[in-house]
Formats: sequence, C-alpha cells, structure tokens
Amino acid sequence: MEQATPDPERQLQPAPLEPLGRSDAGLGVTVDEEAERAREEGSGGDTMTHNNFWLKKIEISVSEAEKRTGRNAMNMQETYTAYLIETRSVEHTDGQSVLTDSLWRRYSEFELLRNYLLVYYPHIVVPPLPEKRAEFVWHKLSADNMDPDFVERRRIGLENFLLRIASHPILCRDKIFYLFLTQEGNWKETVNETGFQLKADSRLKALNATFRVKNPDKRFTDLKHYSDELQSVISHLLRVRARVADRLYGVYKVHGNYGRVFSEWSAIEKEMGDGLQSAGHHMDVYASSIDDILEDEEHYADQLKEYLFYAEALRAVCRKHELMQYDLEIAAQDLASKKQQCEELATGTVRTFSLKGMTTKLFGQETPEQREARIKVLEEQINEGEQQLKSKNLEGREFVKNAWADIERFKEQKNRDLKEALISYAVMQISMCKKVGFGFNEDICIFRSTYKFL
Amino acid sequence: MAGGPPKALPSTGPHSLRDMPHPLAGSSSEEAVGGDSTPSPDLLMARSFGDKDLILPNGGTPAGTSSPASSSSLLNRLQLDDDIDGETRDLFVVVDDPKKHVCTMETYITYRITTKSTRVEFDLPEYSVRRRYQDFDWLRSKLEESQPTHLIPPLPEKFVVKGVVDRFSEEFVETRRKALDKFLKRITDHPVLSFNEHFNIFLTAKDLNIYKKQGIALLTRMGESVKHVTGGYKLRTRPLEFAAIGDYLDTFALKLGTIDRIAQRIIKEEIEYLVELREYGPVYSTWSALEGELAEPLEGVSACIGNCSTALEELTDDMTEDFLPVLREYILYSDSMKSVLKKRDQVQAEYEAKLEAVALRKEDRPKVPADVEKCQDRMECFNADLKADMERWQNNKRQDFRQLLMGMADKNIQYYEKCLMAWESIIPLLQEKQEAKFPVTAVLS
Repeated sequence: MEQATPDPERQLQPAPLEPLGRSDAGLGVTVDEEAERAREEGSGGDTMTHNNFWLKKIEISVSEAEKRTGRNAMNMQETYTAYLIETRSVEHTDGQSVLTDSLWRRYSEFELLRNYLLVYYPHIVVPPLPEKRAEFVWHKLSADNMDPDFVERRRIGLENFLLRIASHPILCRDKIFYLFLTQEGNWKETVNETGFQLKADSRLKALNATFRVKNPDKRFTDLKHYSDELQSVISHLLRVRARVADRLYGVYKVHGNYGRVFSEWSAIEKEMGDGLQSAGHHMDVYASSIDDILEDEEHYADQLKEYLFYAEALRAVCRKHELMQYDLEIAAQDLASKKQQCEELATGTVRTFSLKGMTTKLFGQETPEQREARIKVLEEQINEGEQQLKSKNLEGREFVKNAWADIERFKEQKNRDLKEALISYAVMQISMCKKVGFGFNEDICIFRSTYKFL
Repeated sequence: MAGGPPKALPSTGPHSLRDMPHPLAGSSSEEAVGGDSTPSPDLLMARSFGDKDLILPNGGTPAGTSSPASSSSLLNRLQLDDDIDGETRDLFVVVDDPKKHVCTMETYITYRITTKSTRVEFDLPEYSVRRRYQDFDWLRSKLEESQPTHLIPPLPEKFVVKGVVDRFSEEFVETRRKALDKFLKRITDHPVLSFNEHFNIFLTAKDLNIYKKQGIALLTRMGESVKHVTGGYKLRTRPLEFAAIGDYLDTFALKLGTIDRIAQRIIKEEIEYLVELREYGPVYSTWSALEGELAEPLEGVSACIGNCSTALEELTDDMTEDFLPVLREYILYSDSMKSVLKKRDQVQAEYEAKLEAVALRKEDRPKVPADVEKCQDRMECFNADLKADMERWQNNKRQDFRQLLMGMADKNIQYYEKCLMAWESIIPLLQEKQEAKFPVTAVLS
C-alpha cells in the first residue's frame, strides 16, 4: 500500500503507542508486519480489519449520547447532544481491554476533525459523517434532531466514522485524530492552530478549475461521473424506500382494525367464537410487528446513506486533481508565453500582441540596455518557472498515484460493505416473511380445529 | 354446501295452545319426497358430477406444492365428499360458461345453467338453458312471494356502484358467476325451495320470458295464505328465540359491514404500496448499470422486488374477487332474513289479536272459530320453517366463513411464501465470491 510522504508535523512521531526506536523511515517494513498481525487479530468493534495499522490494538466506541445545554458563540442558550468517546487498549497477551481515554464531543467537533482531514489528506477518500439533519424520513420518523431514535442512529454513525478512520492505513496515524480521542480541553484550539482553514482550496477556485481544465486524467473524469451517478441513484433509492416504508406501515396498521371487530363478532358466535378470537388476536400481533420491521430497515438505509455521502468524498478527490492539473496547465502556459516573450525580445520580432509592443509603438523603441535587462529578468523567471513546473508535475503525479491507490482500496471496501448490506437486507426480509407466514399458519390450524360441522 | 335436512322437526313456539302437533306441521316441509327415493342408476354419475360442481373457489391449488395451502383445501374437499356420501342427492345444478350478447338495444351476459336430476318433477334427466341476471332476479322475487316462511338466499348486487368497474371485465363476470352458482346451489340444497315450481321452470324452460309474461300464479297454499295476512297488527313481544335471532342478525350484519370497510381500506393501502414497490425495484437496476462487481447482486435484488410486487398484486386480486363478495352476500342475506322475521311477527300478531277478540266475546262455550285456527296454523308453520331454515343457515354460515377465513389466511401464506422464495434464491447470488469473477471485474470496475 503506497503512502504519501507523511508530514512530520502531522504524523505521530514516534507513535505514542509504539515501542520506542521505530521511525517513519522504517515504516514500510514495519507496516507490512503489523498489517499481517492486525489482519489476524482484527481491531475491536471494526469489521474492516486488514487495514488497521495501530501497532497496539485499540478499541474505539461512541458509547453514550447526552442532551446538554450551554451557551454558544453568540452567548445564546442552546441545546445540543454530546457523545462519549471511549478508547480502550487491548493487551495482546490476555485480550483484556483497559480504558485509556474517555471524553465528550459534540457533532460540530466531529465536523471540525473531518474538515481538517479533508485539507491535509486531499488524496484520500475521507470517511463521511452521518447526516446532520434527518433526511429521507417517512412519516413515523421524526425529523427532529433531538428525537431519541435519531440520536441513537447518529451515535452509531459517529462510531462508524471513527472506526473507519482508525482502520485507514494513513489517516489513523494523524496526530490531530489522536488528540481528538485523547485531548479533552483545547483540542479545537489545537486544530485551528494548524491553520488548516487557510490552506483550504476555495470553492470558487475549484469550480473554475473544473470548467477550465484541459487534460485531466481520464480515470478521474470517469470517477467523477460515477460518483455523480452514484449520488443520484442512491438518493432516488432512499426517497422511494421511505415511501415504500410509509405505505407498508399503512397496510399493517389497518389490519389492526380487524382485531377489535373480530373480537366483537366472536362474542355472538358459538362454534366460530374461538377461531374468530384467534384471528382477531393475530391481526393485532401482525399490526404491531411493523414497528420492529421498519426499525431494522432503517439500519439498511443508514448503510446506503454512508455510501451516498462517500460519493461526495470521491468527488472531493477528483476536484483536487482537477485543481492541481489546472494549476499545472496554467503554469505551463505561463512558462510558454514567457519563453516566447524572451525569444521575441532576443530576435526583435513581435509575433504576438503585447503591451510592450504597444508601448514601443507609442513611446518609441527602448534602449538595448533596457532590453538586455528585461531579457535577464525573463530568463530568471523562466528558470524559476521551469523548476516550479517540474515540482508541480512531480506533485501531480504523486497525487494521482496515491489517490488512485486509495481509490482502489475504497472500491474494494465499497463492494464488500454493500454486498454485506444487501445480504443482511435479504435476511431481514426472509425472517419477516417467516414470522408473518407462521402467524397465518397458526390461524389456519385453529380454524380447522375449532369449526365444527353439525 | 349444506348439511342434510334436520332429522327431527324443531318444536313449535312456546305460545302453542295445542298439545298435539297440527297436521299441517308435517306436510309443510315436504321432505318425504326427496329423502326416501330409491337411489337411481344415475347416482354414480350424478355423484361424480357433484364432486366437480362443488369444487370450491379456494380449492384446486397445484398438487405439487407442499404448502399448508394445498392441504387445507384438500381437507375441505374431503369433508364435502363425506357429506355427499352421507345422503342421496338427486338434483345437481351448475352455472358456467358466461357469454356476452350484443344486441341493438343492449349488451348483456348470459350464463349456462346445467341441471341433472332424477326427480319426477323433471321430465328429462338433463337440462341446459341460458339465463341472464334479470332472470335470476325474477326467480328470487317469485321465491320470496311463494315461500314467505323461508329464507331465500341472496343474489349478488344488481347495480355496480362504482362507475369504474367494468361490467364486462373477466374478473367481474367470474365473481358474479360464482355468486349466481352459489345462489342456485343453496336453493338446490333446500328441502322445500328446491321443489318450488318457479325454480323448476327457471331450470327447464326454453324461453323464460313466456312464463314471466303470463305471470302464472303458482303459489303454494302457504304462500297464498300468508299473502293475505293484513299488516295492521302489532306484535307485543317477539318470542325469546326469535328475538335472539333478530339481535344476532343485527350485530352480525353490523360486524360484517365493518369488516367489509376495513377490507376495502386494506386493499386500497396495498395497491398504494404496490405502486411504490413498482418504482423501488427498477432503481436497483439503474444502480446495477453503474457498477462492476455489484452489478449482478443489485440486478438480483431488483428482480426479487419485482417478484414480490407480482405476488402482492395476486393477493389483492384474490381479496377483491373472493373475500369481499362473500361478505357482501351475507350482509344481504341478513337483511332479507330480518324482513322474514318481521313477516313472522305479523302472522303471530294477527293470530294473537284474533284470539284475544274471541276471548273477549265471553261466550258460554268458548269455541275457537275456524279462522283463528287457521292463524295459529300459519304461525306455527312459519315458526317451524323459520327455525329449520335458521339452523340450516347457521351451518352454511359456519362452513362458508371457515372456508373464507382459511382461504384468506391461505392466500396470505402463499404471498409470503412467494416473497420468501424470491429472497432466499438471491442469497447465494449475493454471497458469490469475487475470485470466480475476477477476470471480469478487472475490466469493468
């Protein structure tokens, strides 16, 4: 697995849980060994095992959510939810886990962490956060952020987010991430001190690049289209699924109305009474079973949502490539025009329209000394430009290489995860059919036995 | 269908003034004619014909399935066959073969009525005629007129309330045919009604319209006499057993009405659910087109949802065609039964009024005049007929609802079994390992 040259400032040096003596230089070897070990043992609570590069096994969990009130930046009172993050280290020898860190964070801090990662790891498909506001709701689910079901699902989503980072070969080594898990106070200040917000590419610049870039890597163009279409199809799927859930809820609940009328009817019947009572009871059970069924389905919807948001992360990597490529093209263009200017000055021919040409015409020719001076300046600039172009080229190629490696890793992960999601969805449907079918079967048995002929 | 006629006549009402059973009570049921006839040589053929014509709407599931659905309908058929073995049947009627007739003035449907009988009332052993709904309606009115002490089975609804329903659609015609067949079978099974002359004409006449026009009065003695009961008498108290029947029918009809409304609402919700499902499935196909390794699994899920949608459609069709009509039929049945109860009340009221008038005359030798006796006869026969019919009705009702509810449970099970099969069949597809498809994915993804 390729690694981008780690910035010593950002990477853990040495990793705090590492035995002393190891350095990043020897990371390549160490990493492979550890990868093997990690793959065998797996990290607690994380299904994506073979990318965990923590040298000591740790478990991360977002175990609780709590409603808090506080004062916000405008000194106004607000209610928010805080989440408890617990980190445990697991001894190899006896498998016992020891709580090493525990602190509370709110959603906005998770956002801050992610924004930081986006800036410093533009070649990585950064795991997405669970949605900020409840979307794709069907009528029963509350769209309220304070709703306990929403909070619970968000807690799971946040835990998943941290686990994805912890199991990423590169992201897991980030210092700020480590501090997120361990440094309760002043973490926000520490992040802001990195000045990452200043380093972020402006959206406008990125948009400009997207439109104007001439020669992006075809793979990234294709990937961009794929992520757009993925976003569109998953959104559609989630919307329709919500409507399906709504309708199914209606069907089950109306069956519940049978319960009472069958019971009332059974009161006036003799031989039929038992059968009708059982039918009525069964209808009540049937109607109430939908709540659990749909709650399970929400879990499936959450799995789809994660990949909906992942599509945006893919787009971000493509955007970065376009930006870098555009930058490169502009630099090359700039260099070419400077070279041309130089040539024109040297040979005296004015092939293209230039401001100098105009002023020359208006104010007269310049002296040979002036010309020499200008040529010198240009030659210096051309030199600089060539150096810059070389390094930009290198940067660009590195980026493409590293980004594509992470994208391949992501593709594998996506295929695995979505297959798992589809399988568990199918299993859910199967168990639902069996449970309901069994109920109806019981009914038939009772009808058969309690109805008597004269 | 029905159990046999009751073995012993139920006793007359508590207000009987006579100890001895009135001679009229014996002959009114006229069951001697049917029950004691020697089995005809045609009986074997007749019996197999009976098997066929008693095939239930919910029966006939494919022999291959091992689901509880097939075993329950099989059980139904066996039990009915037992009934047939238990008694000698000499009249069999089937309604089938609907055909559309397009005439200048109107378009309508006729049904073929096939009758097989060994009874002396029928000149030929077999008849085949064509009748339309109007004719059935005529028959029912005539039966109500001529046999006012009996419960006449209901007909399916005459008018189609919703403008959306197509009177000539296959589903509507089939639903109606089944109901008309049931109607005739109920009459066939009735020991008194099956001998009614109007019924005979309905089954045998080449051209029913001639009889309709002539308006032949073929009233039995009972019908004639009941017809002349004046409606001016008010009954003080309905006897306990008939009051109980009345109350029962009220509650029964009420509950069925509620169930009908709920069932309709369920069908509506299921159809709306179906609409969404039909959009849901294809989205997985769209997604599948974007993917490499996930293409087959996603396509599989799409097909699976499609299968579930089809299964749901079949379920809602069954609800509409088999469940609702029977509910409606029994509601109509209850209504007609309540009016028979009212007629009975009138007969009793007249008798009691006349009896009181005699008692008030204060004669030395209290002699019950002939017309008061006649009233008493009427009342007691009515009571007897009604009670017999009620028992028969209760039996049929139990059987019909047992079938109905089991049938609906069956259909639901079938639906869930189809869905189950669909989802189980794609699990192996979803779990397929990547290694097997590696050469393909390298190119596609």
